[in-house]
Amino acid sequence: MKYKYNLKAFSILLTGLALLISATGCLKNLPQDRESIGTDTRFTQTVYAPVLGRNTLFSNNFFVGSSSQPLTFAIINMRNRDGSPAPELTETFPIQVWTQPYLGDEKSIAEIEAKRKVENHPLFEIREHSGQFLMWSAAQSSFVKTQPDSGYVFDVEMSNSGGRRYFRDFRLMPLKERSFEPSTLNAITGLSQHTGLSSSDVGNINGAKTNKILDGNDIEVQFHKVGAGNSLTFKFVDSLYNPIDPSSFNLTKWDKLVHGFDMVKTNESVKYTVAYPVPLIAYKTAYTNAVGDKAHVLFSYDRQGYGNIRQVSSLSLDFAIFEKGDWEITFWFKNESPKFAND
Amino acid sequence: MRYSVIIFSLILLLGFRNEARAQQKKVVVKGTVIDKTEKRPLPGVMVWGGKPAVVLAQTDAKGNFSVSVDPDGELSFSFLGYKRITRKIEGATIINIIMVEEVNALKEITKIGYAIKTKEVSTGSSVVITAKEIQDAPVANVMDLIQGKVAGLNIQNNNGTPGMRGSANIRGVSNVNVTGSGFLTPTSPLFVVDGFPTDDNSNYSYGFDQASPGLSPISLIPVEDIQSIEILKDAQATSLYGSRGAYGVILITTKRGNSKIPIIKYTGAFTFSQPPPLRKVIGGKGERLMRIDEIMQNDTNYYHGLNTVNSTPFLSDSLNAFYNNATNWQAQYYRSTFNQDHNVEMSGGESKFNYKVNAGYYDQKGIVQNTDFRRYTLIMNTLYQPNDRFKLAAAVNNQLAYNSTGGGNSITQGGVGTTGASSSLLPAPSLFTASNGLLNTLDIQNENKTVNITTNLDIDFLIVKGLRVTNSFSFNYLTMGNEKFKPEALINDVSGLKPADIYQIYNYFDRKNTLYDRTGLAYDKSINSKHNFRVNIFSEINSTNYRADVIQQSSTPNDQIKGPLGYDWYNSSGGTLNSLTDLKTASLAGSFSYNYKQIYVLDLSYRIDGSSTNGPDAGYSKNPSIGLRWNFNKENFMQSLNWLDYSSFRFSYGKNIVPTGSVYDVYGRYTAGTNYNQDPTVQLDYGTIPNTGLTPTTTTQYDGGFDAGFLNGKFSVTFDAYYKQVDNLLRQKDIATINAFQKVSTNEMSLVNYGYELTLTARPLPTDSKLSWQISVNGAFNKDIMAHLPDNASQLLVVDPSTGQNILYRLGRNSLTNVLLNTKGVYSTNSSVPVDPMTGLRYRTGGLSYTYFKQGDPSWTDVNGDYILDQNDFVAAGNSQPLITGGFSSSMQYGPFSLNISGSFTAVRDILNNDLASRFQSFANPTNQSGLVPLTAYNYWKASGSNATYPNPYDYTRASQTSPFRYDQTLFQEDGSYLKINQVTFSYNFKKQVIKRWGISSARIYCTAYNVHTFSNYSGANPESVTDLGKDISGGYPNPRNYTLGLQVQF
Repeated sequence: MKYKYNLKAFSILLTGLALLISATGCLKNLPQDRESIGTDTRFTQTVYAPVLGRNTLFSNNFFVGSSSQPLTFAIINMRNRDGSPAPELTETFPIQVWTQPYLGDEKSIAEIEAKRKVENHPLFEIREHSGQFLMWSAAQSSFVKTQPDSGYVFDVEMSNSGGRRYFRDFRLMPLKERSFEPSTLNAITGLSQHTGLSSSDVGNINGAKTNKILDGNDIEVQFHKVGAGNSLTFKFVDSLYNPIDPSSFNLTKWDKLVHGFDMVKTNESVKYTVAYPVPLIAYKTAYTNAVGDKAHVLFSYDRQGYGNIRQVSSLSLDFAIFEKGDWEITFWFKNESPKFAND
Repeated sequence: MRYSVIIFSLILLLGFRNEARAQQKKVVVKGTVIDKTEKRPLPGVMVWGGKPAVVLAQTDAKGNFSVSVDPDGELSFSFLGYKRITRKIEGATIINIIMVEEVNALKEITKIGYAIKTKEVSTGSSVVITAKEIQDAPVANVMDLIQGKVAGLNIQNNNGTPGMRGSANIRGVSNVNVTGSGFLTPTSPLFVVDGFPTDDNSNYSYGFDQASPGLSPISLIPVEDIQSIEILKDAQATSLYGSRGAYGVILITTKRGNSKIPIIKYTGAFTFSQPPPLRKVIGGKGERLMRIDEIMQNDTNYYHGLNTVNSTPFLSDSLNAFYNNATNWQAQYYRSTFNQDHNVEMSGGESKFNYKVNAGYYDQKGIVQNTDFRRYTLIMNTLYQPNDRFKLAAAVNNQLAYNSTGGGNSITQGGVGTTGASSSLLPAPSLFTASNGLLNTLDIQNENKTVNITTNLDIDFLIVKGLRVTNSFSFNYLTMGNEKFKPEALINDVSGLKPADIYQIYNYFDRKNTLYDRTGLAYDKSINSKHNFRVNIFSEINSTNYRADVIQQSSTPNDQIKGPLGYDWYNSSGGTLNSLTDLKTASLAGSFSYNYKQIYVLDLSYRIDGSSTNGPDAGYSKNPSIGLRWNFNKENFMQSLNWLDYSSFRFSYGKNIVPTGSVYDVYGRYTAGTNYNQDPTVQLDYGTIPNTGLTPTTTTQYDGGFDAGFLNGKFSVTFDAYYKQVDNLLRQKDIATINAFQKVSTNEMSLVNYGYELTLTARPLPTDSKLSWQISVNGAFNKDIMAHLPDNASQLLVVDPSTGQNILYRLGRNSLTNVLLNTKGVYSTNSSVPVDPMTGLRYRTGGLSYTYFKQGDPSWTDVNGDYILDQNDFVAAGNSQPLITGGFSSSMQYGPFSLNISGSFTAVRDILNNDLASRFQSFANPTNQSGLVPLTAYNYWKASGSNATYPNPYDYTRASQTSPFRYDQTLFQEDGSYLKINQVTFSYNFKKQVIKRWGISSARIYCTAYNVHTFSNYSGANPESVTDLGKDISGGYPNPRNYTLGLQVQF
């Protein structure tokens, strides 16, 4: 009888267990909490053509659709067009990155340099969670294939806890370096098409010889890299390449001309020590244009014009230089010099 | 209707002449029956005697009885809810009986599936609440009082509008469709009042997006008239209410006469309602200086700041009487009120014939000005049972309610939220200085009338032994009217603008007729009192039609003449609203119950339901259910365990439906079109494409339960584990624009709730103790999971355009997930703002014109790592549905004194403190005439390097771009757990000797504090006064704290 009692007690326990298991067993078939990978998710841009020698960020190239964020992206199978691997884009290189924001109010080169540091990165990257592509400025056409070569092909893996998707056959077709902008170089061939550029704006400058108003065709701006340092020099020359004294542009705010330091002003040139690239970032400061993507220099003077009125004349240039060096920007008044004398 | 009143009155008159005569035997035994705990006489106690025992008499209103019996016989005394007591007479002529309440939960009577049985043989999961547990509190709606009393029934009294009720969900959410900003499509349980289903979902709940007064029909039932409430939770219990029982069923039984001598019982209560503490505001000069200081410190430069101050008269013109005030706007809106409640019940009769008339008056003035609720009720029922074969019960309920929601609607008071937060510098309202928002609340004439008339007729006839035929018929007429008049004074607001919706008459009228009939055949059979069978077949027909008309007239002549026509004919309109419905449902159901010696119990049921909102392709829905119960304490081998009163396992499975959508979703809709050749046309409504496959929402539920009682009622425990799957949830989805139609209604969503419920009851003191004490604790753990979405999507975002607090449905996750920016903290210094290593730019806002973040701005997680704050940075965070809910109660009695305390709790729930967010936001525009609150209580960013919780509120020039206090961030998501003391009642029963001289048989006074205190870490006003989605909106109607003094007298 003792044995029978135990059996019954056991059966009660069993019933209780069966109830518990049946109550929890239903939960097995519930969907797991997994993030969504949407079928409508896609990259809206599949051909990327960055200009080498400068940092390029490709944004707004991804439509997230019904996928859950954060997504994780990775570039895979970076290869040449013929399918062979392209180690130059997967190996890491020292890259200058910002650690503190550049604001345009830094007081010295050292203060600017303290805001950047060197890290090792592959030259072409995808931002891990946003799908933006980055091409770092350390990429040079000396070892990276550039157009007109058909460039590279790669795939992107996108994943989250809900699964993964592959986007195939993206094309990376870099363009050769153009060390300054506006550029005289052809984007594909990299060959120079002009000796110089026009200035951005010429206002109220009369020619010394003819007294006619000078325009962009009368002034050519030339960029020359003369050394490997980090300086920027402005020169003004007449049609015969004789120097014009910068002091003639008497209204120019020389100390606020560029975000440079240690100004050396002679009667032939004005030289600044600057941090490259110029401008350092695409951010509007006192030294840039309104958008912030180019440095803005303004040379100005006044004189007594015809009829004894004060005439303010100006010459401005918006430019960017991406390659570090001792750069000279020469304003060549190729037809006639500006008239500084009073009428 | 009118005739039924007459017939009823005739029956009533006949009843008074009917007297039962006791049979003459040998000895006359007299005595009194007294309730042990309350020490009051018990009327209506059955006195049994003879062999076999028959009812000899019932006790009268004073508990006295007098019977003639054999001197050597026995007398038994029985009364519902009390232990049966048997005494040998042995020659005694006076026997006084003290009756003790039955504490064995298994002997509780349940009424599951239109059949009365004890819990011992019912396989479903249900809880019974008796009248005693819901007395003494001054509320209009009985649902407020059930809060925290039933494990698994989550009631949030989030609406303090008089006459309205909060949200109620049995076993988690059953619908995830969001209406308005933060409310769910209501899925309150089906109410069955005295056997007749009452729909509380369609047109009343919340009254949010419709024009009707929005009163719940349950608010029309006086709490004093309720005998018991039973909450049916699982699918087996609700299976026979299948056609609308998917959200659970609540049975409300009103009182019946139960005394040979008529009883007149009066209950009266006076209540003082007090608004909750108002939020602190900065007043007068302090406010002006604070604003000027903010502008001067934070404007782009000194002179621009000076210009801003000087060009804002209400800041600079401090000598102007109009701007030189310190008005407390909130005090203009809120008030303390005195309310009263009177109820007279006349009842009498016995089992052969009984009657009850309950007349009630309830008056509640809202704590917001110009809101109130008044209810007049006359409820009558009678039961006539001339012999054992025939029973007839009839009832007529007349309920009339008036309410006013002032300038708001039945759930929110927008005016209090906006104008209540006006600048204190503005003058208080007077004849000449009108504040439009305030006058809108105070002077609007809003009177809503709700009339509910119900007639019930029950006939029960025993054809042959065991075979019974029953018919229940009910007709309900419910009409609601809404009259609103905005007087002329509201034409010109402060700004001189004339809003279009002002000075108008609005008149709404709806009516709803419900016809309900149930015919059933039941057969009971018992073989050797071992095998007990019951077969029940019934059919159910329900027909409901509803129609609402509105007329609106603009620009009436003046404040006195409110019609007949306004001169602004262009803005005057009227007609029948498109909520016109004509719903018909028909059901056929059968059930089979079997038990063996009440040890093994089996319940089977099957139900076929058709509804006019079913698509023709969907057909009838078929709902089976199975219930099993094993009372294993009755097994022979358990008999030796004396400490065990009862113990049983339960298991049930079942399906239930609730009709969703309307007939228009199924068949489409024709509307009146424009004229063609001067003839009116009829055209197709291209809004929603017909879906002929539309089915009702189906709930499938598994329930496993365990009940046990120990030590002669000292302890009892009930545990339930359940799995509830809600399928075929209705949702409208957009369809491709190549279709002529825009939307389609489909049944494609599913969600699952599973959880555990535990109820513990204890009577820790010995039974002979003078102090009796009962404590009870219950709790429920419920987890909900999204199981299916339309088009097999794995996630869906529901956008809230007003606050940006979007809701995410994602498979496998809790069904309503907040989608927010994750606030990590505040940037204490400029250098703590992250910088894009490539571009060198700081973290910034998105869009074309962007702003960089700086110190004092909130630090939000940059989810996709692009150093831009935009739509990609939202995270799924937080669950607005509580994980744990429950309550507790304690009831103590010592002699004539008793003290009852009850409370409820909610834990693990996320609340979005939109109220706090909007307070901070008001600093973003110092020239706006809104109220300012002191911020000293909040740790906000003050200076570079300060470690703050809240961003800098004063940086107003950038606030429109960075929105530091936007609603959709985790900064304002807080834990909404709370523990609330719902009710504390102290009562005293007068001694019989004292009151006897006035002819009073019992009298009791009580005082109650209701909504006493809420313990919570939540920083806002009240963690309960939030919407279904946990949003603490500033326009919500707060719950008052009430103090009641009441008196119960019985003659």
